[in-house]
Amino acid sequence: MPIGPRPADVVRLRRTVAVYKISSYITGTFLLLLCLMMVLRYGFGVDIEFLGAYGVLALTPRDLIDGINLSSVILIVHGWFYVLYLGCDFVLWRLARFSFLQFCFIALGGIVPLLSFYFERTVPRTIEAQIAVLELDVKDATAGPVETVGPVRATA
Amino acid sequence: MQATETPGFWAIARKPRWLAALALALGVAASFAALGQWQLERSIENQPIDGRFTERVVPLQSVAQPQAPVASAASGQLVSASLEFVSGDYVILTDRLDVDGPVSWIVGHAIVQGPGSAQGSSLAVALGWVENADAAASAIERLEAEPAIGVFDGRYLPSESPQLSDFEEGQRSAIAVAELMNVWANAPDGVYSGYLIASDPPAGLEPIFAPAPSTEITYNLLNIFYAVEWVIFGGFAIFLWWRLVRDELEAQTVE
Repeated sequence: MPIGPRPADVVRLRRTVAVYKISSYITGTFLLLLCLMMVLRYGFGVDIEFLGAYGVLALTPRDLIDGINLSSVILIVHGWFYVLYLGCDFVLWRLARFSFLQFCFIALGGIVPLLSFYFERTVPRTIEAQIAVLELDVKDATAGPVETVGPVRATA
Repeated sequence: MQATETPGFWAIARKPRWLAALALALGVAASFAALGQWQLERSIENQPIDGRFTERVVPLQSVAQPQAPVASAASGQLVSASLEFVSGDYVILTDRLDVDGPVSWIVGHAIVQGPGSAQGSSLAVALGWVENADAAASAIERLEAEPAIGVFDGRYLPSESPQLSDFEEGQRSAIAVAELMNVWANAPDGVYSGYLIASDPPAGLEPIFAPAPSTEITYNLLNIFYAVEWVIFGGFAIFLWWRLVRDELEAQTVE
């Protein structure tokens, strides 16, 4: 049962959403690269070599690489940005107070290809909608004693 | 508020649903701990610590026999043997890498002296090194002039493989006992499959760098770091369970 964010957390929440969006773009991009790298490594037995003996970029069997192994770099970078992504997911979950299931779904964004790009759109939108409701409530509360409150509350 | 919360937490945590969630969290934490253990095992680069005393000189015949493969326990062992060198059987190996760059090795053909069953067997001995091929030729002349005989100490190592490229270029850089046998004038009566690197070379030759076998354990810091990370993830699974129970509790308190 989503409770929604606290008014005091709105600033921190928006800041976290900004970081979350960046992390989801990078994690999503590296996840696609990781899929490519997995197909090359386990389908064709080659890794992506950077600045090796066969040119700037080359497909080389893993044991013969003497340049930089971009396939391994992709694995490591994806891993670290996924940790950041999960951290953002956790903070968003605590601040926006959505359901645990939603937290788990967002966490899948670093594992299921393209899913993080979808969440990058929907999650901030949902949170902004919750904040809008919250600000409406706050306005109601301050304006409440003077005007009639009933109809406004009903629309909120 | 604090007073009502503390007992409330366990009242919720004891419910079957949250106990099941705790079991799940513990299961996840246990599998993460296992992954951490795996990373920890990988972090130790495997170096056999055999506990043998390679630096104590023992008789050659106590660790190796002719016509037998080099046992791993004998490889790198300091040994001593009573030897007599066969004149005319000295061989030059070029492009041997020493501490300061490529040098030429002088390899002699030694006959093992008695007593013992190995008497009369052949042993390849790397006597020492010189700067270049010319120096090697004059060093061999000196060795032929005064035949070396006596007790030699040195490190016993397994033979290398002969190299086809060396054969094609008309020179040698690998010390391969099987190949040397064909170079020696007379077919040996039994041969050691390893070779000796002499500790004290004859006059005019430099000693060959032959360090003790490495027994160091090296750690891979990246794997240790990953192991720590898995432990933190495992702790986080438990923390998540606690957080969820608290959420449930807070939701009920609000209502």
